[in-house]
Amino acid sequence: MSRPELTGHASLFYNAKEARKYDSSSRMVGIQREITERAIELLKLPPGRPSFILDVGCGSGLSGQVLEEHGHIWVGCDVSRDMLNMANERIERKREASASTGDSDAPSDDDDEEDEMDEDDDDSADDDDGETKRNKHNEAPSPGDLLHHDMGTGLPFRPASFDACISISALQWLCYSNTKEQIPKKRLMRFFSSLYQVLRRGARAVLQFYPETSEHAVLISECAARVGFAGGIVVDYPNSTKAKKHYLVLSFDRAYKAPEGLSGLEGALLNEDRAGVRVADKDPKKGKKQKAPRKKKGVGKTKEWILHKKETQRKKGKETRMDTKYTGRKRPTRF
Amino acid sequence: MRLLTHNVLRNNSATSTGAKALKITPIEVRVDEPNPDSSTHERETTFVKSLLPSLDWETLLSGAKALGLDSLPPVVTPELAEDEGFLRALYHVLMDVHLVNGMLTCEETGREFPVSDGIVNMMLEESECR
Repeated sequence: MSRPELTGHASLFYNAKEARKYDSSSRMVGIQREITERAIELLKLPPGRPSFILDVGCGSGLSGQVLEEHGHIWVGCDVSRDMLNMANERIERKREASASTGDSDAPSDDDDEEDEMDEDDDDSADDDDGETKRNKHNEAPSPGDLLHHDMGTGLPFRPASFDACISISALQWLCYSNTKEQIPKKRLMRFFSSLYQVLRRGARAVLQFYPETSEHAVLISECAARVGFAGGIVVDYPNSTKAKKHYLVLSFDRAYKAPEGLSGLEGALLNEDRAGVRVADKDPKKGKKQKAPRKKKGVGKTKEWILHKKETQRKKGKETRMDTKYTGRKRPTRF
Repeated sequence: MRLLTHNVLRNNSATSTGAKALKITPIEVRVDEPNPDSSTHERETTFVKSLLPSLDWETLLSGAKALGLDSLPPVVTPELAEDEGFLRALYHVLMDVHLVNGMLTCEETGREFPVSDGIVNMMLEESECR
């Protein structure tokens, strides 16, 4: 299967259906959480106080959720409105939960109009991520804010706005152009030069991404270096194609050296492939299905092959005709 | 969009200097109750205190006014900066006042950025970029 980045613009890939799939896949949620935890670890934020963090490519707010659990305040931006809508739903659910566990005058607010997303009141969808472990920040409403924005156009903030920047599984989208006008290198340079401006001095950025090729990884680090950042790429589990993760760690401190990546197979969930949200994609060696019967040499498909193929289609959920005595029957004349 | 976000937001298109903040034209505003859980208060005041030196106070004043809040002082004195009550009120203003629907306008270029469902649309065309 091809990389999501090759199918087209990020906002087209992460449409409403994909966004929902992405957000409800507990495996996806688990992996993204682990990556975010690792990125936060690499950020080495000052302990004891909340940081104001920019989340680039925040998607459906999975990484934002983890930032909140660590007690930080964040602003997220993403190019896909559908993903942002999911993030908004998550924030709304949290806000309503906190309003009802707070004081007695629950959903009413001091001011003006009610918020429109009241239909989520009955949504008993499982909030499986994060609310179990860190109790401290459970009751508080979400300190996250969302922007619909394309990072390739540069970050729209005043200088020295943020204490840190985090980006999970997003940066690689800049390496692909979707319109005639978009040039990857230009967009990367715009992104990194604006990032250099909007971070406070002494701040750090950790950007986890999936390079398709080593050329992409080199392009990305070169652009970051050109605007003046120090740092490097931390590679976790370099020997495992599935668990391997790249973190671009950036700092203003010229003496900064990127730490060593993880090499043991400690992270259980990270040992799995980034399957995106293509549920049908399975490793053929590991699949439980039997080996498909061979087609006839030359022209023609055997009956066994046809029956097997129809079974696979049914498993995928596609509409398939019933198997009858006519299935795969040798026809008397050519059609 | 909360006032903290508005404070750092700028128009970064090619035709704008990005020097001034965006003007708020509200359609729908929501003010949340301050968090009743007192265990978070210390974190909140610590955060605001560390944020205070870098806050664009003029922008905060005009932004708050546009959303219907007139209670901020015109200048933050060193005494105020240490006052717990002031810091908590400031946290509330920065974090709990949301522009749910409205418009942000760049006064330099006239470019408009709509806000719907609390999300600001900052999407620029490739032609608008540097």
